[in-house]
Amino acid sequence: MWQYILRRTGQAMVVIILVTFLTFLLLHNLPGGAARSALGLDATPAQIDAYNEQMGYDKPFLIQYMMYLGRLASGDLGFSFQQNQPVADLIVQRLPKTMLLSFLAAFVALVVSIPLGAIQAVTRGKVPDYFVTAVALFAYATPLFFLGMLLIVLFSQTTSLLPPQAPQGFGLGEILADWPGLILPVATLAIATLAAYTRYVRSSMIDNLQENYIRTAKAKGLSGGRVVVRHALRNSLFPVISLLGMYIPALFSGALVVEQLFNYPGMGLMFWQATQTRDFPILLATTTIVALATVIGSLLADFAYAVADPRVRLSGDS
Amino acid sequence: MFFENRLAAVGLLLIVGLVAFSFLGPLLHPTDQVHTDLANAYAAPGVEGYALGTDGVGYDQLGRLMFGGQTSLIVGLAAGLLATAFGTLWGATAGFVGGWVDAVMMRVVDALLSIPALFLFMLIATIITPTVPMLVLTIAAFAWLNPARMIRGDSIALRSRDFIVAMRGMGGGSLRAVRTHVVRNAIGTVIVNATFQIADAILYVAYLSFLGLGVPPPAANWGGMLSSGLSEIYSSHWWLVYPPGILIILLVLSFNFVGDGLRDAFEVRLRKR
Amino acid sequence: MTPPAPADDVLLDISDLHVSIPQRKGVATPLRGVDLTVRAGRMLGVVGESGSGKTMTALAVMGLLPGNGHVSSGSIRFDGVDLTAVSGRESRRRRGTEIGMIFQDPMTSLNPTMTIGAQVSEGAMIHEGLSRRDARTRAVDILRRVGMPRADRIVDDFPHQLSGGMRQRAMIAMALVNHPQLLIADEPTTALDVTTQRQILDLIEDIQDEFGSATILVTHDLGVVAGRADEVAVMYAGRVVESAPAQELFRDPAHQYTRALLAALPERARQGDDRLFAIPGMPPDLRSETTGCPFAPRCHAAQEDCRSGPVPVITRGDRHEVACLHPGDLAEAGHDLDDVRTPETPVGGRGHSAATDAGEAPGTVLDVAGLTKEYPALGGSFIRRTVGTVSAVSDVSFSVREGETFGLVGESGCGKSTLGRLIALLENPTRGELRLNDEDVTVVTGRRESRAAHREVQMMFQDSSAAMDPRMRIDEVLSEPLVIQRIGTKDSRSERAEELVADVGLADDVLERYPHEFSGGQVQRIGLARSLALGPRLVVCDEPVSALDVSVQAQVLNLMKDVQAEHGLAYVFISHDLSVVRHMADRIGVMYLGMMVEQGPADVVSETPRHPYTRVLIDAVPTVDREDERDRLLVEGELPNATDPPSGCRFRTRCPFAQEICATTPPVHEFGEEGDSHSVACHFPLPADGSLPVRAEASA
Repeated sequence: MWQYILRRTGQAMVVIILVTFLTFLLLHNLPGGAARSALGLDATPAQIDAYNEQMGYDKPFLIQYMMYLGRLASGDLGFSFQQNQPVADLIVQRLPKTMLLSFLAAFVALVVSIPLGAIQAVTRGKVPDYFVTAVALFAYATPLFFLGMLLIVLFSQTTSLLPPQAPQGFGLGEILADWPGLILPVATLAIATLAAYTRYVRSSMIDNLQENYIRTAKAKGLSGGRVVVRHALRNSLFPVISLLGMYIPALFSGALVVEQLFNYPGMGLMFWQATQTRDFPILLATTTIVALATVIGSLLADFAYAVADPRVRLSGDS
Repeated sequence: MFFENRLAAVGLLLIVGLVAFSFLGPLLHPTDQVHTDLANAYAAPGVEGYALGTDGVGYDQLGRLMFGGQTSLIVGLAAGLLATAFGTLWGATAGFVGGWVDAVMMRVVDALLSIPALFLFMLIATIITPTVPMLVLTIAAFAWLNPARMIRGDSIALRSRDFIVAMRGMGGGSLRAVRTHVVRNAIGTVIVNATFQIADAILYVAYLSFLGLGVPPPAANWGGMLSSGLSEIYSSHWWLVYPPGILIILLVLSFNFVGDGLRDAFEVRLRKR
Repeated sequence: MTPPAPADDVLLDISDLHVSIPQRKGVATPLRGVDLTVRAGRMLGVVGESGSGKTMTALAVMGLLPGNGHVSSGSIRFDGVDLTAVSGRESRRRRGTEIGMIFQDPMTSLNPTMTIGAQVSEGAMIHEGLSRRDARTRAVDILRRVGMPRADRIVDDFPHQLSGGMRQRAMIAMALVNHPQLLIADEPTTALDVTTQRQILDLIEDIQDEFGSATILVTHDLGVVAGRADEVAVMYAGRVVESAPAQELFRDPAHQYTRALLAALPERARQGDDRLFAIPGMPPDLRSETTGCPFAPRCHAAQEDCRSGPVPVITRGDRHEVACLHPGDLAEAGHDLDDVRTPETPVGGRGHSAATDAGEAPGTVLDVAGLTKEYPALGGSFIRRTVGTVSAVSDVSFSVREGETFGLVGESGCGKSTLGRLIALLENPTRGELRLNDEDVTVVTGRRESRAAHREVQMMFQDSSAAMDPRMRIDEVLSEPLVIQRIGTKDSRSERAEELVADVGLADDVLERYPHEFSGGQVQRIGLARSLALGPRLVVCDEPVSALDVSVQAQVLNLMKDVQAEHGLAYVFISHDLSVVRHMADRIGVMYLGMMVEQGPADVVSETPRHPYTRVLIDAVPTVDREDERDRLLVEGELPNATDPPSGCRFRTRCPFAQEICATTPPVHEFGEEGDSHSVACHFPLPADGSLPVRAEASA
C-alpha cells in the first residue's frame, strides 16, 4: 500500500508542477502583459516597470517561474487592485463556502445514488432499472442552470416552499443558519452529479453480482438481502471512493454555475464576477487554487480507497 | 444489431430531425435574424403569425431557434470530433509507446483534467474574443482529455492481447500492429466516444453562453437563447425559455442514445457465440 | 474408500430431473431427465464433458440455478424431502446446514474483501446464531481440520494473500462449517496444479471419512474419480447415460459413449500407436430437441433404432445401469474400438520416420544452450524502477531434431510458457544461445533478417481464438503470415488459405467466417493451420489442447500428428498434462521454477524418472488405470516465489531427499548410465529401477 501511496503522491506532485506551470504561462501571456492586467489600463509605464521589477518579471523565464512557485508556496496569490485586497484573503473567505456547497451536494448525490444504483443492478433490464436510467439521462442532458431554474419555478415561484436565493451570510455559520436557502443550490448540484454516480454504482454492482463469490455466498444459504448488501454492494463501493475524487472538477464546474444562478457568495461567484471585470489576478489565482484542491482531493480519495480496500491495503511492498 | 436498439434508432431519427429543422427549416420559414424589430418585441405565440412568438428585441422565436440550432450543432459536432481525433492520437501514442513518454503524456492529461473545465473555459474566453471557431477550439482544447485516457487504456490492453503477440510471432512489427489490428479494434471505442463528446460539447456551449461568454449577438445558439430567456421566466414569457431548453435536452439525449446503441452494437458483435 | 454402508441408505435421489433456462433465442434445456442416487457416507463421481449438465445438476441440488433457470419437471429428494417443492427460506436453510458446495475456481469464488475467517464462519453465524467470537473459534477449528497451516493467523488474512491450494482449503472449510450431510465438489481441482490437486483430492477423501458426509465429486476428468469414488455416473447431453460402482465402470464400461471416452484418453493409447480414438463431431446443442440416443450421431456403433426409438435404461449386474441400445461387451473389453481406431494413413506418409528410415541422422532444428530469461521486478515508490529480477527461465539447454516432438512439462509458473515464447522469438533471452537450423537467432538484428527468422518457427496458442484478431475473417487470419512475410500475391495467398483449411480437415466455407463463430476444437485446427502457413520447420505449441474436452482433444492431437508426419515438422509441445505430453512427445523435458530438472526419451522419463520432482509429478497425475501399485512420492506445499528462488537446487525446499549440498550447490545435468540422452539435474537421483529410497530425514 505504501508503495501505491508514494507513487500516487509522486504523480500528484508532477501534476501540481504542470498545473502551476500552465497557470504561469497564462499569466505570462495575458493581454498587455501581467503588469498591465494587474494594474489596469491606466497604469503609467513607470508603474509597470516598478511592478515588473518587484515581481521579478525582468528576470529569465525559469527564474520567474521559480519565483512564482515561491510566492504560491508562501501563500502570496497576488493582489487584486480592483478589490484592493490580496487575492489570498478573498479566496480564504470564499473557498470554504464553495467547499461546503460541493461537499453537501456530493454527499446528497452519494446517499441517493448508492441505493438507486444498487436497485438498478438488482432489477437489471426491468422497469425500475429503465426508469432510473431514463431519469438519470434526463438529469444529465439538462443544462445545470436550466435545471436550477426549473427548481426555482417549481419550489419558490409557484409554491413558495423554498427561497430562490442562496444564503448571503459572511461566515459558514451564518450560511448554515439560513439552511433553507441552501436546499435548492445543493439539490441542483446534486442532481447533476447524481446521473454519473448512479451509472457508476450500477455498473460496478452489476460486475460484482456476476462474480463467482456471489454464488458462493448464496451457497452458504444467506438471504438475498445479505448477499446483495454484505457481499455485492460492499465490494461495489470501494471503486466509488475513487470516483468521488474523479468528480471533484465536475463539482467545481457545477458550483460555478450554481453559485451564479443562486447568487451564492462562493469562489465560483467571485470567479464569475472577475471575468466580467477582467480581474486577472483573481482569475488566475482562483484557477490555480481550484486545480490544487482538485489534485489534493483526488489524491485523498485514492488514499482512502487504498486504506479501505484490502486488496490494495495488503498488496505486497517490495 | 444497431437498429435492434430502439432507443438508438429514436436518437438517430431525432438528430436527423433536429439537423433538418436547423438547416432546412429556414428555407420553409424564412425570418429576419439580423435586424431587430422592437415594435414587435415579446409577441406571444400565435400572435401576428409568430408561431412561437418573438423575443425581447423582436426576433421571430421559431426562426431564431432554427438559426441558433445551426451554431449549437456546428460547434458541438466540430468540437466533439476535433476533441476525439486529437484525444485518440494522444492516447494511442501514449499507450503504444509506453514508458516515460506515456508517463509524461498522461501527467499532462491529469494536469489539464484537474482544472475544472468551466474555470478553464472562462479564463480562456476572457482572454480571447469568442467567435465560433474560437469556441470550437476552446471546447476541444479541454474535451480531448477523456478520449485520450480511454484510448490509452484500450491500446495498452490491445498491446498485450494474444492476437498481437501472434502477429509478432509471424514477424510483424509495431507499425502493422497499429495499422491493421489496433485501428480495427479501437474504432468502436472511438466512434462511441465521439458521440458522447458531441453531446458534452453541446452542453459546454450552453454553459459558456450562460456565463456570458457565448458568441455575441446577432449570432445565436440554443444555450444562449435559454440563458437569456431565464431572466424572462418571472415575466411569464415561457416561449423564450422552454423551447430552447427542450431542444438542448433532446439533442444531448439523442446523441447519448446513439452512443449507447453503438456501444451495444460493437460489443454484441464480439459476444455473439 | 469407505467401508460399505447399509445399502439402502439413500440420502439424495434425483429422478427424471429437467431444467430449462429461457434465453434470448429459444430455451436451453441443460438437464433432460437426470436420474441419480447418492447414498449416505458414500462418494459419487459425476463425470462428463462440458455441456453434459454435470455442474447444472449440482446447482439444481443447491437451488442455485443460474439466471431464470428452473426445474421444469422431476424431483430432487434429499433425506426424503423434495427440494424442488420447498420454500425459499427452507431451501436456504438446507443449503447452509445440510448441503455444502465447493466451487471450481477458489480465487474468484471467495469474496476478495472479506477475511477468510469471516467467510468461513458466515454460514455458522447465520444458521446457528454463533457470536462473532464463537464463529471465529469455529473458523480456526475447521481450518485446522482441512489442513490449513497456521490456521489462527490465516483466519485474518484475505484471499489474495493465499496460494491457490490454500484458497481451495478455505473453500472446503467454508462448505464444512455446519457439518453438512452432503458435500458437492464441482471440479474442485481443475484450476489447480497437479501436485496441489493431489493434496486437495486426498483431503476431500479424508474429510468424507472423518465427517461421514456423502460426497458428489463433479469432474470432467475420469482419472480424478477413478480410485476415489464409490460410484460413478457418466453424463452426456443432460442425461446420465451410465452409472455403476466405480471399479465396475472402469473394468466393464457398457455405454458406447463411456467406452469412447475412455478410449480417447491419451494414457489409453496403446504403446507405439500414433493415433487416439477420437469421437467425431460435437455434443448436441442444448437448445435443440433430440430424439433417440443423444450420442447416436457421434457413435460408431449406432444403428437405426438409436436415432429413432426410445432408449430404455437396462440394468447389468449389481447397480450398473446403462441407457444404451447396443452396449459394448465385457468380452470385447474395448478391443472392438481398435478397428475404429485404425489410423487414417496421412497423405504424405510419415515425415519423421522417413528421415530415420533413410538411415541418415535427422538434422537439428532447434538448439538451445544456457537460455535464461529474467524479468525486472518493478518496485520503488516515486519512480518505478527495477528492484530485482524474476528468474523465469534459468540456464536451460536442449535440442530438438527434425520431425521430432519435444514435450515440455511442468506446473504453472515453472517457466515452460516463457521458454516457448523465447523459442518462438516472441521475447529476447537475457542470456544464452538459441539456434534455429544451425543459425544463431539471438544475434539477429536487422529488420529483414529478424523477419526471415520468424519463418522457421511458428506458434500455436492455447486459445487460438484469442490469438486471432476478432475482426478478421479466417481467410485474412490465414493469409496474414504471408502478408507480413511478403510472400505471394493476393490470389496465391487465398489459394494457400484454402490449402491450409483442407490440411486441417475443415471445409472451404470456414474462410468467410469470424474466429468467434467456431467451437474450441475447430478454432485450434485453424490455429494449427495458421502456424503452418509459412512452412516452418518447428512449431511451438503452448497448451494446444488444455481447453478442450477429452473427445475433441483426441481429434486435435491426432490431427497434429498427421500434420507433423505430412510436413516433417518438429514440435515443442508445452503442456501441464503429463499423459498428453507422454502420448505426443518423443522426448520430454521437465521444468521446475525456471530450471530444466530432467530430460530424456518420453518413455524412459515417464517410466523411470530419476529426478524426485518428475516422480512427484507423475505420481500425482490421477489416472484411470491404477494397476501399478508402486509407492507414490508426494510433496507438501506449493511452488515458491520466482523472485527469490531457493539457492542451490530450486526443488530442495519441497524435496523429501534434500541434503545440505542441495542448498549450497546447484546440481548440473548428468547423464544416466542407461541411455545417451536421459539427463537429470539432481544430487541424489532416484534409482533407475523405479523404487523409492528410504526417505532421508533432513539432516541439516
